[in-house]
Amino acid sequence: MALSVGHLAALAGAAAGLGVSFNILLGTPGRTLTRPLPVLFPFARLSLSVDGLSAYFLLVISLVAVAGAIYGPAYLRAHSPDAGRARQAAQVFALNVFLGCMTFLCCAGDALTFLLCWEGMTLSSYVLVVSDDRDGENARAGLLYMVMAHGGTALLLVAFLALTERGGAFDFAALRVAAGHLDSTTRTTLFFLALGGFATKAGVVPLHVWLPRAHPAAPSHVSALMSGVMLKVAIYGILRFAFDLLAPVAGPLPSSWGWTVLVVGTTSAVLGVLYALQQHDLKRLLAFHSVENIGIILIGVGLAMILWRQDGAGGALATLALTAALLHTVNHAAFKGLLFLGAGSVLCRTHLRNMEELGGLARRMPWTAGLFLLGAVAISALPPMNGFVSEWLTFQALLGGGSRIHGPAGLVVVFSAAMLALTGGLAAACFAKAFGVTFLGRPRTAHAEHATEAPPSMIAGMLWLAALCVALGVAPGYAMRLLDAPTAALLHGPGASAVVTARGPLVLSTATAPSGTDATAISMTMMAAFLIALTAMAWILRHGLRRSPARAAPTWTCGMSPTTRFDYTATAFAKPLRLVFAALYHPRREVTRETAGTPYVLQRIQYAGEIVDLAETQIYHRIERGISALSQTIRARSTGRIYGYIGLVLGALFVALLLIGVIYR
Amino acid sequence: MTGVRPLGLVLLEMALLVLLAPLVTGVIQKMKARLQCRQGAGVLQPYRDLIKLFRKGTVQADTASGFFWSIPVLVLAATVAAGALVPVVRAGPPAFPLGDALMLLGLLALARFLTAIGALDAGGAFGGMGASREMTIAPLVEPVLMMVVFSTALTAGTTELGALAAHRGTSWIVAWRAADFLGFAAMLVLLPAETGRIPVDNPDTHLELTMLHEGMLLEHSGPGLGCMLLASHMRQIVTLGLVAALFFPAVPADSAGATGLLFGAGAFAAKILVLATYLALVESSYAKLRLFRVPQYLGVGFVCALTALALRIL
Repeated sequence: MALSVGHLAALAGAAAGLGVSFNILLGTPGRTLTRPLPVLFPFARLSLSVDGLSAYFLLVISLVAVAGAIYGPAYLRAHSPDAGRARQAAQVFALNVFLGCMTFLCCAGDALTFLLCWEGMTLSSYVLVVSDDRDGENARAGLLYMVMAHGGTALLLVAFLALTERGGAFDFAALRVAAGHLDSTTRTTLFFLALGGFATKAGVVPLHVWLPRAHPAAPSHVSALMSGVMLKVAIYGILRFAFDLLAPVAGPLPSSWGWTVLVVGTTSAVLGVLYALQQHDLKRLLAFHSVENIGIILIGVGLAMILWRQDGAGGALATLALTAALLHTVNHAAFKGLLFLGAGSVLCRTHLRNMEELGGLARRMPWTAGLFLLGAVAISALPPMNGFVSEWLTFQALLGGGSRIHGPAGLVVVFSAAMLALTGGLAAACFAKAFGVTFLGRPRTAHAEHATEAPPSMIAGMLWLAALCVALGVAPGYAMRLLDAPTAALLHGPGASAVVTARGPLVLSTATAPSGTDATAISMTMMAAFLIALTAMAWILRHGLRRSPARAAPTWTCGMSPTTRFDYTATAFAKPLRLVFAALYHPRREVTRETAGTPYVLQRIQYAGEIVDLAETQIYHRIERGISALSQTIRARSTGRIYGYIGLVLGALFVALLLIGVIYR
Repeated sequence: MTGVRPLGLVLLEMALLVLLAPLVTGVIQKMKARLQCRQGAGVLQPYRDLIKLFRKGTVQADTASGFFWSIPVLVLAATVAAGALVPVVRAGPPAFPLGDALMLLGLLALARFLTAIGALDAGGAFGGMGASREMTIAPLVEPVLMMVVFSTALTAGTTELGALAAHRGTSWIVAWRAADFLGFAAMLVLLPAETGRIPVDNPDTHLELTMLHEGMLLEHSGPGLGCMLLASHMRQIVTLGLVAALFFPAVPADSAGATGLLFGAGAFAAKILVLATYLALVESSYAKLRLFRVPQYLGVGFVCALTALALRIL
């Protein structure tokens, strides 16, 4: 009961969000909706303000929230049937708070609303992360998430308070005025503080370590929301800070901003997919892919920052880059949400997340398998799905940028296009593995053998997102109209549809040539129709010419009777790439053999292998060791006598007062 | 500059590619046989194989799911669709835009992805092994191919293949710059990998230790196998057509009309024949590389492509 009511409330909220965002995105250009909020604090007036950018992110949130709300009740009932009513109520309450905070965060009109929602989003998602299964691993994942998230929040607080202190008020308009008077060093410092805070939330390498632990621990529809939407809120923050709050009154952004974002994005994309490739936990694999996709979005954002307000035709290119990033934002929300919901269906029917124990589910869960495959094609950036469209736009923007920016910098831009291509190829390999090992072949365990199809409401949730993936892939031109308002609001230049769909909504075209004459144009709609016609013809070629007899026979295994052991495992599938990229993985393996007398008679063989996350071993373990060493030293010095500590506190106070006196002399 | 290509011409060119695709394989096989002092099968042998397969019955693995049935059809459709993006008889962008070089590579990647899925479906170790190796090589080949495309696209300002070929015009090696040579060298390194030939893959064997692509086809039979084979012939001619469009001279503009089209078709056949001869020579003079040597081999292509890009931009 509580489950249904709670999710209905979420659905209603999402519908309202959709209404507001469509109202802004399709309404008069440049319109901003402003509403004051009740006065909660004597020192600040809270308000909401929805412009094109806010409305666009509101749309992304609401689209995935609809799927989550449809999917959620059946999932929670099927996944943990013995959960008490208190736990269910807590989960549903936290879910609604989580959604509400994300929604209001994107619509915040002042720094205080923004920060309050930011904190509410963190706390409610923490509750959801630790709520699912009460084991030690989830608790540890939650703790790491809390520590990292608050580190990020601290950076954000400094950035915001530095602005509010100068502006004398909390609302964004005052902050913009205050930022106009900043000198360039302070401006850049504030930007990097904010970038650090948002990057922690977005899971950008090397700040991503919490993400692959926390996202899989939450209930699956919450994982979909965390990966598909919460990370995007951080992207919203970066865009709001870079192009709106902190942007200089005139002239381009400082060049260090865009280049940092571009390089960080490229690194995240490549490392995210490389680490995803070696995961065997289905949800963890998907979480690593979020790191990758955030990287792809940041490539577009970084490029837009570099090109914005440059001389010449850079304006249209900046719009193109930002369009690619924003389109990938909604695309990633759709297919990653779909994949997480698919993984959730597998999880609730088999109670397994380890791919090596699954297999053969395509025959048992055909709907889930088909929809998961659709999501896999989309995330691997293969045509005719939506992932291809946004990556195509990113490629075109990078190529255009590369031809405009000469010298080594241009090479960096084009090199990051090559890295993006590598990312796409590796993602396809990863999802061939994930889909093949999980859904195809024979079931490897009894749990997988006895799996049944997920309940209809869960399939309906997935269908909603799958329809989005197909629609955005086959007819992306029609979505460009929704991107007009955010691109125009941020860049004050031409809107997305003026740049990308100049030849009508069926054709995506760019004018990236140095002379601006030749444009590259593709038509996803035409290609999709073409593919369907060709598929029909190939089908006739195969089946229509002659009614050929068909029979089933066991798979060929060199004359032995086939068993589950013949199926290729995920570890084996990813092994060649593990060896090719060994420098990044530092793979370690242990094989123990038990033999009977002679080495030729094996009785038991045991294999254990693992790879390391370079960021973890190179950065976090060192920090951890440093903190441990420091606390050991302090422990050796501490006397345990109370007056000693009081003396320390007094000394610290004295030094602090001295410092303040020096600064504010 | 040549004019635009109407949709009818694009479809005609695609049909021509489908019809000619098995012939290219037949010619390469024949050349290989003669280089190895064998008589070899006739150049029409691939057609006979296909006709035989399309008339046969199907034996399907009993563990395979419903996807397995549709995979040959989808793979063939995706590969043939890629064929529609290659300019054959005339350079110039199509009248109604369909796709560019990135779309072409994407469609080939889609076909490869689906093939790998099909290989895993039967639940045998050979299919898994082939899929795993193919999906290891593919991510290493794709970015380099993309870089070669970028290195030409940077001067032409477009990634549409017909327009790229038109931009190349009738100029031949004398007009090439260093970047063109390097890009072409990278392409020559990549060609055997993308067409599944020695030294990366061996199309003639079903030995599990040497194969990549053939391993994935083991469980397909009858018309399904026919579709997969036709798709791999098609993939080969599409890749050769991509190289031809990027680097070889295009047919001049004034050759319109039926004679012009025939001339264009003849020129295309000549370009494909040159590349096919290259493949046959490489296959006859090199041994297959160990799987873990392949990344180093592809590294040569990567360095060439990166240098080509650097020369274009710096």
